[in-house]
Amino acid sequence: MKRLIASFQPLFAAGILLVVLLLPILGLTPNVIRILFITFVWITASLAWNLLGGVAGQVSFGFAVFYGLGAYAAALMINAGVNPALSFVGSAAVAALASFLIGIPTFRLRGPYFAIATIGVSEAVRVVMNNISAVGGAGGLRVTERGIFHQTEHYYSGLAIAVLAVCVSLLIERSKFGLALRAIRQDEDAAADIGINPFRCKLWIHAIAAALTGVAGGVFADYAAYIHPQGVFAFSTSVTILLMPVIGGIGTIWGAVLGAAVVTIVEEQLVAVFPQVHLLLYGLLLMLIVLLEPDGLVGLLRRMLRRMHVDPSSRGPDEALWGRGRLEGREL
Amino acid sequence: MTAVDFLNLLIAAVLLAGIYAVMSVGMTVIYGVMKIVNLAHAGFMMLGAYFAYEFFERFHIDPLIGAALALPAFFLFGMAVHWLLIRWLPKSDQPTLSSLLLMFAFWLVLQNIGYLFWGNMDRSIFTPRTLTVLTLGPISISLLRLIVFFAAVLCVCALQLALSRSWYGRAMRALIQNPYAAQITGVDDERIARITFGLGTAFAGFAGALLAMLYSFSPDFGRPFLIRAFVIIVLGGLESVSGVAFGALVLALVETFSILYVPAGYQPAISFGLLVVVLLVFPKGIGGLLERKWRPA
Repeated sequence: MKRLIASFQPLFAAGILLVVLLLPILGLTPNVIRILFITFVWITASLAWNLLGGVAGQVSFGFAVFYGLGAYAAALMINAGVNPALSFVGSAAVAALASFLIGIPTFRLRGPYFAIATIGVSEAVRVVMNNISAVGGAGGLRVTERGIFHQTEHYYSGLAIAVLAVCVSLLIERSKFGLALRAIRQDEDAAADIGINPFRCKLWIHAIAAALTGVAGGVFADYAAYIHPQGVFAFSTSVTILLMPVIGGIGTIWGAVLGAAVVTIVEEQLVAVFPQVHLLLYGLLLMLIVLLEPDGLVGLLRRMLRRMHVDPSSRGPDEALWGRGRLEGREL
Repeated sequence: MTAVDFLNLLIAAVLLAGIYAVMSVGMTVIYGVMKIVNLAHAGFMMLGAYFAYEFFERFHIDPLIGAALALPAFFLFGMAVHWLLIRWLPKSDQPTLSSLLLMFAFWLVLQNIGYLFWGNMDRSIFTPRTLTVLTLGPISISLLRLIVFFAAVLCVCALQLALSRSWYGRAMRALIQNPYAAQITGVDDERIARITFGLGTAFAGFAGALLAMLYSFSPDFGRPFLIRAFVIIVLGGLESVSGVAFGALVLALVETFSILYVPAGYQPAISFGLLVVVLLVFPKGIGGLLERKWRPA
């Protein structure tokens, strides 16, 4: 049974991919396509955070820095007449570069010190971006792309980066590098003892995560056509990026995807109905997850699957399907 | 810069340091005993500000009395929060991701409850005292800041005294130094943790009420002060009251004197920048640095 479900997993993924590929042809309303597009952007950022925070165990409150820098880099390049696809590569490069600048000093810190330092870095970057008048300062930046606006093109670029993020996550999870990252999460000193260089591994995964987040920011900027520091560099952006994988199920690829989808849809619907309370509900949801279901939505699904499952001797199909990851007992 | 300017800035810095100390000390005791990085501290400070504001607006109670009332009110509130949420967290002698996220979530909840009740408008408490200035020759001191400074210093000293003299303080310090040994000698860690959390929250509410007299506030009030509190407790080494006082003084001096050199727009970035520098240069605080130097290798 376990093997059966495990072998269905690629089929399942391919099915979802096929459906989302065909969705725009079905003639959905522009608003639904917009929500799906934003979901893809957030899936990318969420998977990126999950690589650093979930797999390597380094909790960062500063992913808005990469998201924002990616957005600004793409916006400036598109304004200069660069092809959007090329400018997204530029976003990734800028964000990765920034990740080294941030990572080289801050990865000397461990645990809560690292988490706190990332809050400091992201607040400082936002203040600085608010004051640089060359990129519009607090007034923001308008993105003017030459050519006609096709929503479906944006939809597919969003889909492409989300698929890219899933592929990168899968590759890392199955590689020796991913194993090293997991070792660092569990015990950094022990990892160092068996010949892993924690500092270098963390720097690289930080760069990969930053590049993905930067691309997500770039794609978003191209679609939104207007960005400003209080939006893309806001603390709440960092918070959203962190919440998605935690709500979905930290450390798992499906969890990050599911969390992003749920957060986007909930947010888009809630903002429309109750503009004030969506962060309140996030807070309550996060509290419930931390206290009651540390594995997030994936853990909840896993429990439901286990209940349906017949053979009590096996550990269940869920583990093969969802991968492993726990919030509880994680030290910072 | 003339000597008078220097003296004026120095006095301003010292007065600021008092407030900074009182707002950081609550976080320090909570971290020391429970190893929880209390991000909700910012939310408690915001509530403290609105607590004083509501008393002032509705019942015309002097905000200083409001601040004093905040101490017992927030003490009970903090104990309730501990009873409702924190005691369910998995126990650990290291900071855990769960605790960080839980406190962060609680901060989000408090902040947005604030938005629901009071909207996003900036409020302020304005009393006749607000603009009074004492002048001693060329030196001028804001009366309100002086009062707030003394209230803050009084509270911090009282806490220090309680920690060093009372049974409770001894139990708390024992828990900070070695939780297992403390439990063996009969310290009820759950109860001490509850009282400590109440104490930390009381200080957060008190600091928020004091700050509300000096600055305008909105439900997002606590965030810049949260980062400052981090800088201070990291400078002071995370676990001692005297360290906090020292860290507060350093931050206040840096902030006050940097006004001369850094454009006002970049001012908020100073504490954040200092945080990163401090974390890198002295990851264990100034105390840790001294320890490293003095300890024979």
